[in-house]
Formats: sequence, structure tokens, C-alpha cells
Amino acid sequence: MGSSPLLYAVTGALIFGIGLLASLRDEALLARIIAINISGVGVFLMLVSFAYRGFELAPDPIPHALVLTGIVVAVAASGLALALEKRLAELPKSKTHKEDSP
Amino acid sequence: MSTILIVVVIVPLLASLTCLMLPRLSDRLSLGTGLVQLITGGLLIQSLASGISHFHELGGWSPGLGIALRADALAGALVLLCAIVSLAATVYARRYFTCVETRYRFWPLWWLLSTAIYALLLSADLFNLYVTLELLGLSAAALCTIGAAKTEALRSALRYLMLGLVGSLLFLAGVSMVYAEYGTLSLMALAGQIAQTPATLVALLLLSSGLLVKCALVPLHFWLPAAHGSAPAPVSAVLSALVVKVAFYLLLRLWFELFSPVMTSLFATLIGGLGAIAVIWGSLRALTAARLKLLAAYSTLSQMGYLFVFIPVLAALPDEETRQLGFGALVLFALSHGIAKAALFLGIGVIQLQVGHDRIDQLAGSAQRFPIAFFAIGLAGVALVGLPPSGAFLAKWSLISNSLLTGQWWWMVVTLTGTLLAAAYFIRVLGAGFVTLGPEAPVKGVGVSLQAPALVLACLATFGLGLGAASLWDVLAMGSAGGQL
Amino acid sequence: MMIWSVIDILICALVVALAMAALYAPALRQRVMFFIAFGLVVAITWARLHAPDLALAEAIIGAGLTGAMLLMSLDHTSDMPREPASYGLRIGSAAMGGVLILGLMMIVSSLYPIHDGAPTLAVSQRQVESGVSHPVTAVLLNFRAWDTLLELAVLLSAALGILNLGPARRSCGHAASLTDGLARVLVPLLILSAGYLLWKGAFAPGGAFQAGAVLASAAVVIHLTGWEKLPRVGLRSLRLLLLVGPTLFVAVGLLPLLNGQAFLQYPVELAGLLILLIESAAMVSIAGMLTLVYLGGHPHANWPIELVNPKEPM
Repeated sequence: MGSSPLLYAVTGALIFGIGLLASLRDEALLARIIAINISGVGVFLMLVSFAYRGFELAPDPIPHALVLTGIVVAVAASGLALALEKRLAELPKSKTHKEDSP
Repeated sequence: MSTILIVVVIVPLLASLTCLMLPRLSDRLSLGTGLVQLITGGLLIQSLASGISHFHELGGWSPGLGIALRADALAGALVLLCAIVSLAATVYARRYFTCVETRYRFWPLWWLLSTAIYALLLSADLFNLYVTLELLGLSAAALCTIGAAKTEALRSALRYLMLGLVGSLLFLAGVSMVYAEYGTLSLMALAGQIAQTPATLVALLLLSSGLLVKCALVPLHFWLPAAHGSAPAPVSAVLSALVVKVAFYLLLRLWFELFSPVMTSLFATLIGGLGAIAVIWGSLRALTAARLKLLAAYSTLSQMGYLFVFIPVLAALPDEETRQLGFGALVLFALSHGIAKAALFLGIGVIQLQVGHDRIDQLAGSAQRFPIAFFAIGLAGVALVGLPPSGAFLAKWSLISNSLLTGQWWWMVVTLTGTLLAAAYFIRVLGAGFVTLGPEAPVKGVGVSLQAPALVLACLATFGLGLGAASLWDVLAMGSAGGQL
Repeated sequence: MMIWSVIDILICALVVALAMAALYAPALRQRVMFFIAFGLVVAITWARLHAPDLALAEAIIGAGLTGAMLLMSLDHTSDMPREPASYGLRIGSAAMGGVLILGLMMIVSSLYPIHDGAPTLAVSQRQVESGVSHPVTAVLLNFRAWDTLLELAVLLSAALGILNLGPARRSCGHAASLTDGLARVLVPLLILSAGYLLWKGAFAPGGAFQAGAVLASAAVVIHLTGWEKLPRVGLRSLRLLLLVGPTLFVAVGLLPLLNGQAFLQYPVELAGLLILLIESAAMVSIAGMLTLVYLGGHPHANWPIELVNPKEPM
């Protein structure tokens, strides 16, 4: 199977690292969400490379299932964060909204 | 197969789904769910005390292939803590959110957060723990925004969400390294296999740093005061009392059960040092906080710090028996803080709801107007400072004597300084609240169910845990919690 | 073999280059574009690493839905980062980060060769008992079904949080005849392929998540061509839509407890059928939740229930 899975795993580690560093910068939320998503793909890339068993053999299905879960969780989290930001952007203009206690 | 574990995790999930389906029933349903949780928690701890250990292989698959749930004494104690605090906060939330629409939006998320907490406490699978952490982070952030139209609250909820995501990501990276190295995710299977390899060490660092973000240990604490200080009171109570605590619980599991061969005394001392900084710094910030809720949030930072100060002391204890006692003290401290901090937030919420603000310099007369809530705040203060007869007093006593026993006197200095500072910031609150304003128009009906939960929790923290500490110690010694320490 | 090494190196270089571009391009709009391109290349990478389930999911969810969401959010995001930190600080943190990343890469390479763990061997041995022949579906919906149930709960909490926040995104309303005609072709096709993906999941790559995401993207297409055409979903139906998947999952999971068996322990002979049932319901809920995640708000101001008097007593 050669060194290809190793190459992908190391690439995954690299992507995870640069994404994580970028997500900690003081930037627009959108940029930080992109960074967290990219960093997540880095971890997924590591996991999928760990599952790869070469051309002839079937890959390990467990990491695939884990990554599928991870992809769905990532989109849910990104969506919630973006919706929060949208709400924040709308707020100063329309302050009188149905309001409960503090 | 212990069905009780399924009851613990599935009842809140079902409650969430039912509250969503039948909003008009959700107030009553939530009360019922809280009661069921308390009974289940009680039964669980009782059966653990009689020496039964609980285990459930989900789907009937052996752990590794499938996912297992299990409860030992440590998990059982925390399940009970969560049941107590969430019942009190549930009773309180029914009155706190006066707008019915807000309550209908609140309950389904509230029970999802509860599901996440219980699922995390019982899970015995590393990746499953990651999913529960994500559920915890998302539902908690969503709850922070309930009923809020304030920019500040939304902004801190957003920051809380983002930091939680970074934490989970670090944790997931650690999980994937563990899987590559050992080929399994089951905690039971891993426990015997963990060896001292460079990859294991890196995995431990990744997992720990992910959880430390969620525990808000200095220097990863910056998100906590704003998030805990601006959420609705019942949510703040659960965030401060339970959510940070379950992340710490996971760290205990990792450090003392799973990765004990890799843990070095240097690492433990480093963690303890950060904890010590948190104790002092959090207390100082609490001393100068302008708002009551911020004070409570900074107090959480400093109280979480003590939990980390325990680590190097425990790691250095020579024999099994004293370690187990020390471990019991650590758990007692965590429980005591959980209950007392929830009481504090619920009490503050009463004042904030009635007065419309929680500024400490404008508290004059509040002891007169809300005697029950203020009494609860005072009692919670006793437990948080660690005065006798509270459980925290016993725990701190054990911490001090053990730090002397192991020749690490500096932890004693930290504990004493932190205690004095805590006393100072509570005296500040009490001093401000007891200023009388002369006769004032009586406040219109502050309902009992709004004030009682805080008082019950405060009494439990101050008297209940102090007097019941011995039996708690017995239960913890029974289970395996301190066994592998 | 040689040719594959070259291809692998090219793919990895492309992934890294696009990631860097998505992280450091000067304008946010550019970053979003690069991110979508990154997602597509990652989908190809999954295909290369024999993970077709993930290739599908990444293309639809990672690049597609997330990309669409990011694009829609561009309007209300202030374009640019605040003033950059000092030069020295940036160099310093980059150097430290670089050292950490290098260390991590070395550690990761030390993990090889990877061996099958006991669970991996168990999956292939007990595949037949799972009721489905596609191993990833077997892991997702049988061996590790608890993860999947909690994952639905994660999606649900995101959807509920979004519903509580504010009104949904406005459609940008490109009601031009071209896009309109495109939607008329695309939407039925998408619904058809969702059904196909769901059915296929039992024995080949696909399943509830991919199918649900395809359905959600059909909703996105409708939303892009004009909000009005999206069927008006009532409050009760919306609640049902979100609930049906998780509720059915829990209900099926609880039944074996009556026989003294474990939670989620399906009888072997019924497992295939039960999994299809769970997946169908889950697909509907996933589609609803992902659509809400994309919309970023509630379609009804009075979510979750129509009240006569909002201050009504308990």
C-alpha cells in the first residue's frame, strides 16, 4: 500500500494545525467558522487515512462512521453560530423585540 | 444489563421530545421529569452503595464493537448531583420565565442539555464522549440565548459556542490518535493497554487541553465570566454547577483511570499551579466585580481552581487508603460547589428579576425585601467559602492536611489565601444587601417556588453535605472510583 | 503504483493550498469561495481513500450546505479583520505554531503502520448479524447506533436554538425564468436521488444522512429561487417533522428492554427492516433540521405554538 495513507495522515495533521491556529485569531466570525471547519477536516483526514488499507483490502468502516457523524455535527454547529451572528447583526436596528425577563 | 442506566439517559431525551410535541403540557411534564430523575439518581446511588456496579452494553454488542454505559460510585455521585440541581432549577425556571412562549422554547433545549450531561457521565467510549461534548456545547449555547434580546448576552453565547467547538475539536484530535495507536475506543479496553509512547502523550495533551477549555482553567478561562454572567439565571446555575463540572469529571477519568501510566508528577504540578492561579485570580476578580452574577461567575473560576489544586496533592499521596480518602474529599468539594453555586445563581436571579438589575453597589435594602433569597445567598456563601459545617470545609481540611503530609505546603498557602478572599467577597455582598433603606412598600408576591429552590439547595450544601459526608465517603470507597488512583 | 504516488502528492498539495487560501485570502468572499473549492477537493480525497460515504456527505454537506450558508451570511458580516497584530507577534506565534504542527506531523507519522484493532475485526465477523450488508451503515445504525441517536440530538439542539433566535433568512429572490426552470428540473431530481440514497444505504454507500442532506439541498434550491414556492409548513407539522426521526429511533431502541434485552438491541431477523424504518424517519427529520440550519431562523414568528394570549397563566 506504499506510503500514501501516511502522506494523507500527515497532511491531515498539517490542516488540523493551521486551521486551529487560524481559528484563534481575532477575526470576523465567518473567517473563524471557516477555520474551525478546515481544522475539523484535518482531523477527519487523519481518521480516514488510519482506516485505509490499500487498494485490495476494504477499509476499516469505524472511522468512516465517526467522520460522517463529525461532518453532520460540524454543519449543525456552524449553522447555529451563523444564525447567532445574523441575530446580532439585526439587533441594533430593531431593539424592541418580544422580550422576557432579563 | 442495568436498565437503570437507560432510564437515566433516556428519560430526559424523551422529555425533550415530548415537550417539543406537546408544548402546553411541558411545564407539568418537566416537573415530573425532574422528580423522576431525582428518584432514579437516588436509586442508582443506593444500589452502588450496596456494592452493585452498573453496566449496559448498548445494542447488545460487546464494548469496542458497540458502546457501553457504566456507572461507578463517582459517576453515581455526579448523577445524583445533576438530578438535584436540575430539579431545583426546573422548579425555579417555571416561575422565572414569566412569558409562556419563552418557557415553551426553553424546555426542549433544557432537557437536551440534561441528556448530554447524563450521557457524558455514563459513557464508556471515547468517541461517544466527543458526541456528548458537542451536544453539551450546542444545547448550552442555545440555552444562553433564550429570552435574550441583549447584544451582550448573544455575543457571549456566540463566544461560548465557538470556544466549545475548539475544545471539542482538540478532544476529537486526541480521540483519533488514540484510535490509531490502540485500535479501540472503549475505555475499558483502553485502560489496560495505555503505554508510555510519544503518540499517547500527545493524545493525552490534546484530550486534556480540549477539556481544559471547557473547564475554563486559567489561561483558557476568558470565555466563562461573560457566558455564565449573562445567561438566564436557571441556565447560569446549571452551567456553573454542572457543565464545567462534567468536563472536570472527564479529566479525572482520563488522568487517573486511563492515562495513569503517562501522568507524571511534573504534569500534575503544572496543572495544580494553573489551578492555584485560578483560585487567586478568580477571587480577586470576584472581589472587584460590579454585578452579582459576574461575581458568581468569577467565583466559579476560583472554585474550579481548587479542584485542580487537588491533583498534585493526590498524585503525591503515598498509600492507597489516604488516596481514596483524598479522592473522596475532591468529589465532596465538587458536589458542594455544584449545589452551593446553583443556589447562589438562583438566589441572585430572584433579586435580578424583581429589582431589574444585579449591580452590587445598588443592593441596599434587598435583604429586607427578599429575606428568603438573601438568606439562601448567605448560606451558599458559607458553603462556597468553606466554613463549617459545610462539605467544602471538610474537603478543604483534607486538602490542607494532605498537602502538609506530602510536603507541599504551598498548596496550603493557596487554599488559605483563596478562602480569605472568598470570605471577603461574600462579606461585600452581604454588607451591601443588609444596608436598610427604612420602611419600603412590600414587594408584590415573590412566589415560594421562585425562592424555595435556592434555599433548599443552600441548606443542602451547608448542612446536608457536611453531615452526610461520611456516608458519601463510604460509597466512594465502595466503588472503583478511587481504586485505580 | 508510481502514477498513484504522483496523484496522491498532487491531491495533498491542492488540499493544503486551498486550505491556506481559504484561511488567508484578503477578502471574506474569496475565503468562502476557496472553502467551497476545498470541500470539493476533500470529497475527491475521500473517494481516493475508499470512503465513498464520506465523499457523498462532504460534497453535499461540507462543501454544499455549509458553503451555501457561508455565502448567505456574507451580507451581514463586516468584511474585514481588524488591524493586524504587530509584525513581531505574528512571526512569533507563527513560529511557535509551526513547531507544534511539525511535532504533531512527526507523531502522526510515527503511528504507522496501523493494525486492525479488535473492534474492526469484530465488525467484519458480525456484519451478518447487523441486518445490513454495507459496513458503514452497520456501524452507524447498529453497532454504534447510540452515537447516531445523540448526533440527531445535536442536530435537534442546533435547529431548536436557531428557531428561537429570529426570523429566517430572506430568499434573495432570483425569480428569473432561467433559475425557475432549473429549479423545476432540479428539485424532483434531488428528491428522487434522496430516495435512492436512502434505499441504497443498506448495501452500498448512502443512507439517511446523505439522503436527508440531499432533501435539504432541494429546499435550498427552492429557497434560492423564491421563498414563496416552498410549501408552507404549519407549526404542528414543523414540530412533527423535527421529532419523527429521533422519536422513532428511541421507540425502536426501547422495545427490546421489554424482553430484558439491551437498549437498541434489534432482533437479528428484523434488524434490516428496523434500520430502514429508522433511517426513513431520520432522513425526514435530518432534512428538516438541515433546512432550518441553512435558513438560520424560524419561518414562523410564533414558534413553537400559536397562542391566544402570550401571557396566559400556567
